[in-house]
Amino acid sequence: METSKTPAAGPKAVAGEERVWRAGRLDPMPIRTLPEPPPSVHLLGPTVFLVALGVGMGESYMWPRLVLVFGPEIRWLFLIGVTLQAVVMLEMARYAMATGESIFTGAARVFKPIMWFFFVTAILVYIWPGHLSAGAAAFEQITGIPWVVTACVALVLVGILFSLARVIYNLLENVLALLIGLLVVGTAVIASMVGSWGDLTTTITGMFNIGYFPSGAMNAEWFPIVVGAIAFAGPSGMQQMWYTLHLRDSGAGMGSHIPKLRGLRHAGEEEEMPNRGFMFDTENTEEMRKWKGWRRWVTFDALLLFWGVTMLVTISFTVLAQSAARANPDVKTLIEGGDRSAALAAMSDAFAAAGGSVLGTAFFGFIALIGLNATLGLFDSFSRGQADMTYFFVKGAKRFKMSHLYAFFLWAVIIFGILILNFGPADGPEAVLDILAFLSTFAMGAYCVVLLLVNNKMLPKPIRPKWWTNGIIGFGAVFYLGMLFFSLFAFGVVVD
Amino acid sequence: MTVPNRGAARVRELAEVSRPGFAVGFLAGSVAGLMALIVGQPIGWAMVSALALGLPLGLLGAVYSVLIALGKVRLGGFAPACLFWLIGFPLSRLSQEVLTRLVLTGELGGPPDVLGFLAYQGLISAGFAFGFLWMHERLAPRWWHRMSGQNPTALRVYDRYASHARVMWEAREARKRRREASKAR
Repeated sequence: METSKTPAAGPKAVAGEERVWRAGRLDPMPIRTLPEPPPSVHLLGPTVFLVALGVGMGESYMWPRLVLVFGPEIRWLFLIGVTLQAVVMLEMARYAMATGESIFTGAARVFKPIMWFFFVTAILVYIWPGHLSAGAAAFEQITGIPWVVTACVALVLVGILFSLARVIYNLLENVLALLIGLLVVGTAVIASMVGSWGDLTTTITGMFNIGYFPSGAMNAEWFPIVVGAIAFAGPSGMQQMWYTLHLRDSGAGMGSHIPKLRGLRHAGEEEEMPNRGFMFDTENTEEMRKWKGWRRWVTFDALLLFWGVTMLVTISFTVLAQSAARANPDVKTLIEGGDRSAALAAMSDAFAAAGGSVLGTAFFGFIALIGLNATLGLFDSFSRGQADMTYFFVKGAKRFKMSHLYAFFLWAVIIFGILILNFGPADGPEAVLDILAFLSTFAMGAYCVVLLLVNNKMLPKPIRPKWWTNGIIGFGAVFYLGMLFFSLFAFGVVVD
Repeated sequence: MTVPNRGAARVRELAEVSRPGFAVGFLAGSVAGLMALIVGQPIGWAMVSALALGLPLGLLGAVYSVLIALGKVRLGGFAPACLFWLIGFPLSRLSQEVLTRLVLTGELGGPPDVLGFLAYQGLISAGFAFGFLWMHERLAPRWWHRMSGQNPTALRVYDRYASHARVMWEAREARKRRREASKAR
């Protein structure tokens, strides 16, 4: 085996020498056996992380808002956005499952500065604790506890939880799976109480109105919001890249050869992390049979769990927003106006008027739950990503264990978050907000390009993506970067 | 005398097996009621909201657990759960509407357009089925494992999950061995 870049070695190495797969400039990957795929496809995988991260304000607020302003027909753009993300997810999984490496290491194999770009972008975009505010504010509506207090307590609790856990992945997968399950059944129950047949059918049929673009959206006020909403349909920013780390830790594919990340208290039990990933023998038919099994498993995860849950939650929230707007015309004005907390409060009031104050409270409960899911997922993912890049690419970092680096980034972001919540702007300094929004969307276009390079140059031919998959990912790159720059040049505004 | 005893034991056995489904259904249905308690609504109000939907969803959830335990429904299958709740969810919501009206106003009646109401609930049921299955698959195997010592039905259904887990465990052991071998090399 050999890559197009580096000659030499290959599977027919001299007897006694280890067979390796050379990819890019980093250490070659030794050939190991691919484990058997899970025998039954219904087992839930690490997609729960992606769902927890992805089902956020985009689904519960931004899209319902667009539907109220432009009508349900605009939802076809959501369909495109989420479907594109499902394909991105499958392609991220291709590299992670074939090598046990994160996509960051894949990027470094192509060209190291690309990886450093993601390292810096992650810090710039994700250290601001603004994402806590919506959930904590909803909790304040229910309990009266000031949101800053809730947010700070939540930050410390998250830190303690992840530091004490034996194997962080297992703990988090179980917690998130239960919370998401509760979110899905709960929103379904509430939508069943306040929604109507008409709301639901227009929401669903609106998704197939392909090509509809209202003229009212082609201006400096709305175009950036629409672009932002498409980019934030499902997981946004670097969330898809972190998914490769969760896949590896769940033991999917060749990730099974990499030790699991442990909480700080159990860092001593962590096995030594190998310097690089592994590759399986793609010329062996038995190995290829197992590979196809893994691909089936991850496809099921991508389509039914990721795509399905994201769709269900947004459909439910859109139905909720429509019925709230009908019950109280003020809701429509507030939602259109863009004041998120006032709009959410008005929606809650509308439900309270329709089905008793209980329903209004339940609505806030779900917003708080979405906030909690996102916070748990985001803190873990950020720390995981930074620890991974530091461990493998910062000189001297291997003196520490991966668990120590994870704990360092986790507590750093927590302490910084508490300081900012109390003394600074939660979303980041006003002056750099545009830069952060730009970087977040730019990262999405950039990872599409990285995926094309990594999967087509760093993997052996038999497991490279098909032409149509490359076409979709290429479309993704053009779509995200094109919309971003069009918005910037035509209207002078980045995404909102 | 032995026959009724055996019957009672069987009922107890199935009741134990049915608890995960009951818990998930009841929890989902009574979320609104539980929230009412948090914000200090009158207890009577909260109880009506919790029970009127929580109870029927809980009972149907229990039936679903029993169907799985008896092997009538495929483990973790989405389609059977969807079909089950396509009927069960609208009926639960209808009973909630009727019950709440009865308790709070003393009048007997349902929603104005019953057919439209049921059709809408039927569509929403797919979302509910998904969430229900998701949570059920997380809770039920653990519960059945705990019960498997004294409950033969729980033991049988747990065995089906366990045989699956054994395959996974063997794969993990094999991975460990491979890792150690590669270290030694």
